[in-house]
Amino acid sequence: MIWIGDVLVSRGEGGVYNERMLADARVWDPYRSKLAALYHVGKGVELEPSLKVLYLGAANGTTVSHVADYVEVVYAVEFAPRPMQDLIEVARRRRNVIPIMADATCPETYRPVVEYVDILYQDVAQPDQAAIAVRNSVFLRGGGYLILMLKTRSVDVRKDPTAVFDETLAALENAGFSVLESVWLAPYHQDHAAIVCKKPEIRGE
Amino acid sequence: MQSYWFGDFTDGRCQPFTGDRGALVSRILSLSTRTDISAIPDWQTAVSCGFCHDRAEYLALLQDACIAAAERSVKEQYSGKDAELLQMVRTLDEIDTVINLLSERATDWYMVRHPAFSRKYRRIPAHTLIRTMQEKSRGALGKVAGEIAQLAETRTALAKEVSARANGVMPNTSALIGGLVAARLMAHAGGLQPLSRLPASAIQVLGARTALFAHIRTRTPSPKHGIIFQHRRVHNAPRGIRGRVARVLSGKLAIAARLDHFRGAADPEFLAKAQEHIDAAGKGGEA
Repeated sequence: MIWIGDVLVSRGEGGVYNERMLADARVWDPYRSKLAALYHVGKGVELEPSLKVLYLGAANGTTVSHVADYVEVVYAVEFAPRPMQDLIEVARRRRNVIPIMADATCPETYRPVVEYVDILYQDVAQPDQAAIAVRNSVFLRGGGYLILMLKTRSVDVRKDPTAVFDETLAALENAGFSVLESVWLAPYHQDHAAIVCKKPEIRGE
Repeated sequence: MQSYWFGDFTDGRCQPFTGDRGALVSRILSLSTRTDISAIPDWQTAVSCGFCHDRAEYLALLQDACIAAAERSVKEQYSGKDAELLQMVRTLDEIDTVINLLSERATDWYMVRHPAFSRKYRRIPAHTLIRTMQEKSRGALGKVAGEIAQLAETRTALAKEVSARANGVMPNTSALIGGLVAARLMAHAGGLQPLSRLPASAIQVLGARTALFAHIRTRTPSPKHGIIFQHRRVHNAPRGIRGRVARVLSGKLAIAARLDHFRGAADPEFLAKAQEHIDAAGKGGEA
């Protein structure tokens, strides 16, 4: 990751969402982006130019644009038409963003276009976030990483966020993931946690 | 046979896709509805298939097609006649909020300028008060009052438009409950299709979210009506039978919404029977 002092940045064409520029690099604000927050409070996964990413819950393409600055290609899945319009605009300006209008709960709908990826990044406001991640892990190569941004409030508003957190961790470990890191994104995002997992190597690959 | 976005595999031989961009987009969209596809594509297969030369070209072609496919999907989502109606209803409700807020503030301001003024016991309708403020106040206050009057005019025109459009988009629902309330129901549900999928009991309390959750959490009485209270047959009904009218009405509305979504034309026979049923509920007859 590229840091200028203690500011996280990415190098690419600016002006996507009026982001601040610092020495010709785009400032990646942890208060706006959960992934940026993860790099501030935890370790995360080092983004490299050779990596392929499947990004679920791409929204307006704000975080997507930063990820795309670092990696080879981002498959960006978003369901709602309004943010999709913005995401398409981001894709037009960046050669390595592939927008897909589909429901992340039905990975078979984008199976024909998405290749094996090194990182599965998920940030969706759904109650069954662990299950969605597991279903989408078919695209993840053995040894690949899952970065799950857990919105505990979307799972169940009445439950204690830490309980939701523990349940999700258990569900992911049950599915065969090994959890590398799990942190709360406070003070940048309330009731949000980041979970980084590794998919086991597939024998014979 | 194994299908990828760039071509089909049959008996180990690959047939690359050769159509133009539009056809490729259609292909990708139709592949996404198939459930028998198990293979995940990769660029090497596409190259060996003869579809492209290298990874850069693979990605460029894929991106181009995916952007076009996403554009087409967005367009399709917006093509429903309810998409614009939804924005119109939400704008209408927002204008109402703005008018109320501004009127309240302007009145407070006016009362400071005229210490002897009070609305108590005078029954001054809001629009008369606004007009007085507009005429009697110099400077910014007069301008604000003018803006409020202007907004009220816009609101009236928009409400007429919403009502007319709702009559076209949802003829059955509008016939039962009036265009404006029908459009509000649709906006609360998030569209005509979501509304058509709601059970009658949900339609009955649509818009009464606070009361409904208060009921679920604590033991307050359940809400009898939400938005449908705005319909005269509900709010004019005597208190004792209001709940029944709301229940019968929402039952018929659920059917009407489905007719509107799946058929899109008014069904006079259904409407006549439904009206009779709802009227009977209001008269205290057996519902």
